[in-house]
Amino acid sequence: MSVSLSAQHVVKRYGGVVALADGNLDVQSGEVVALLGANGSGKSTLSKIITGVVAPNEGQLRLDGHPVSFKSPSEARRHGIAAVYQELSLIPDMTVMENIWLTHEPISLGRVNRREMRQRTRALLELFAGTYGEALSPDAIVKSLPPDERQIVEIVKALSSEPRLIILDEATASLDSQQVTRLFELIADWKTRDMAVIFVSHRMEEIFRIADRATVLRNGYSVGTRPISETNGRELVELMIEGATQPDARERAPVPADAHVRLRVTNLSAGPLRDVSFSLRDGELLGLGGLQGQGQSELLLALFGAMPSTGTITLSGETVHFRHPRQAMKHEIAFVPGDRASEGLLLSRSILENLHLPSWHKYGIPLRMKQARASAQANAEELRLVAESLDAPVSSLSGGNAQKVVIGKWLLRDPKLLLLNDPTKGVDVGAKAEFYGLLTELRKSGAAILFYSSDDDELLGLCDRVLVFHDGQLSAELQGDQVNRTNLVAASMGSLHAQAD
Amino acid sequence: MNAIKRLAQVNPPLLALLLAIILFFAGGLINPNFVNTNQAVNIVRLAAFLGIIAAGQTLVIISGNEGIDLSVGGVVTLAAILVYRISGGDNALLLPALAIALGAGALIGAINGLGVIAIGIPPLVMTLGMAGVIQGTILVVTQGQLIGATPPIMASAISEPLLLGIPGVIIIWILLSLIMWLVLERTTYGKNLFAIGVNRTTARLSGVRVPLVVVATYALSGMLSAFGGFVLLGFTRTVFLNLGQPYLFPSIAAVVVGGTVLAGGKGSYFGTMSGALVLTLIQSLLTAAQLQEAFQLMVLGVILLALLSIYGRQRKLRQ
Repeated sequence: MSVSLSAQHVVKRYGGVVALADGNLDVQSGEVVALLGANGSGKSTLSKIITGVVAPNEGQLRLDGHPVSFKSPSEARRHGIAAVYQELSLIPDMTVMENIWLTHEPISLGRVNRREMRQRTRALLELFAGTYGEALSPDAIVKSLPPDERQIVEIVKALSSEPRLIILDEATASLDSQQVTRLFELIADWKTRDMAVIFVSHRMEEIFRIADRATVLRNGYSVGTRPISETNGRELVELMIEGATQPDARERAPVPADAHVRLRVTNLSAGPLRDVSFSLRDGELLGLGGLQGQGQSELLLALFGAMPSTGTITLSGETVHFRHPRQAMKHEIAFVPGDRASEGLLLSRSILENLHLPSWHKYGIPLRMKQARASAQANAEELRLVAESLDAPVSSLSGGNAQKVVIGKWLLRDPKLLLLNDPTKGVDVGAKAEFYGLLTELRKSGAAILFYSSDDDELLGLCDRVLVFHDGQLSAELQGDQVNRTNLVAASMGSLHAQAD
Repeated sequence: MNAIKRLAQVNPPLLALLLAIILFFAGGLINPNFVNTNQAVNIVRLAAFLGIIAAGQTLVIISGNEGIDLSVGGVVTLAAILVYRISGGDNALLLPALAIALGAGALIGAINGLGVIAIGIPPLVMTLGMAGVIQGTILVVTQGQLIGATPPIMASAISEPLLLGIPGVIIIWILLSLIMWLVLERTTYGKNLFAIGVNRTTARLSGVRVPLVVVATYALSGMLSAFGGFVLLGFTRTVFLNLGQPYLFPSIAAVVVGGTVLAGGKGSYFGTMSGALVLTLIQSLLTAAQLQEAFQLMVLGVILLALLSIYGRQRKLRQ
């Protein structure tokens, strides 16, 4: 049973933000189409539209030549479209087979036929036989499984609905090489059985192993499709960045080589992060780049003592091992988390309380409120915080002003090392510009800054040195003239191994 | 109604206090003898016992993550029995007996806190289990034979007029309210307590030692409940196995009526005090109206639901 899917001029807006401006993609029976793009290029939006997770504002999806519009993922599934996501969609407390057959359980005589369910689950898992441990069985509880086996369950779950078109969205990220090879064998088999595959991956090497064609997205536009046999990594990377202007780099300033070394990291591993080594000098703004979720957040969390790690961390010559953020704070380290609402703020509490949360102990018992209020006031003015009063709840502030509170609470402690985890996400342009100015001032005052950003323009415009991460490892260290868009994107796809001297 | 809603948005404790005053004068309609100074003092005195016992509950509920202390009743009983037995009615032994009772309460609370934060037992289960353990231990150790006596100095200091005709317990309550305000609003502990009630991740990433604050909070709750037991003994002058249990659910209701959010992170002891007054007044009114006990419970339930729905509306507006 053959299939063809065509997305034509698909547009998706979230409020005023255009996530996908002109999405075009064609895929047919017996082929694998790779979907590529840098951060924020619209690849996940496009795959969500195809699987019915979100509805497009404009444009058309045609399935087998007929226009379709899916109201839900289950409707897409009824049309033979299934997706495997990296962000796991399994229910942790249910068994493997309950997860796989959720909402389409085999029924006989009005009851769920658990025996049949178990048999069919076994048959599906057999596809990956020999690549997983003994714990993975139809009756295993999902949360007891390691990430790679959960990913296998996720893949098998998509297969259980016998799709004609399957989307693999970063589905190989947590698999080991043996499992990836098996998956690719399966994909080859699917092709012979007239299935179509859309393959989203950040691993260039995998794309060249498995894809027949590659479609590249840039800033929400489909900018080209190339047969894999007629292209190479360099051409695809250039398609991903073509025409983009280099941002103004006037903020970039190298630090003198004799500046004090604030931080030295040797062979640090934490979560997905493996064997990372680098150093950071006072007054330096060191960028962390790469696609999202390559271990950058974990690096910052580990340095702040918020996540267990192995390896050596040396601060101004002193080897430290933090088990709680409090210890890092005593060493004048500050951490601005990636998710303001859930990690950085106490939304229902006042601006004053948020600003002083890390610092209350400085004000004695009973707390000298006048003094606390005065310093918070000065801080708010310095940051040009726009708020009704310091007693207003933080939830009443705009994104940019809320972010100023997150940063302000650390500035009140006068940190020497700042860890910034994508601090300008969801912040308006004006507040971003103010924030860049603040970073420059902090550098001048001698603070060392480690700056992860999912916005490549920020890294290119602000950082003289950028560490690029790929699959939990440092894939490149770019310095000076090497800090350009081509290198940044190539390194984030794992296809550049430049090491600065 | 709109005005009431607006008031509830601005300040639930004030709304509860206003309600208490209205209820008091409404009592005059049912029974003209209800409205007089003596009766007012009497109601505040009764409310004081509930208010003191609910102080620890306030802290635990503010700490969030489904925080609740169901061992309050058991600790009240245990503390009263300890003071009763250890002092044996001897004024000289009063302070050592009180210190031991408070220590026992704090220890029980600390175990609750450890069970919740270190082992991860839900607070409801942990403290309910602890209540059972306390009750069982009391039975096993005393074999139901509650011997001892209440030191006379304590009974008179708590029950009789102490200053300007005001009973001692009310003065104790006012002093406690000042301390509670200081602890909640003017100490690092208080600020950290609200912080962990709102968002534990943010608190941790801002350097708050969340487990320490949780254990301290449950320990304080145990200690304050023990103090409640001590005060209650000064009033009853005798102990029985069921002394504290009737205060358990009112202690939670007083906190919630006072506008402290069950989800944590927002509330005040002033609110709990207003809540204790409202609950005590409703009960006195219903008694004065000579309603059957079953009806009293029904009316009480309906009033609580009405109040909470007003507060709930407020939370929705906020989001």
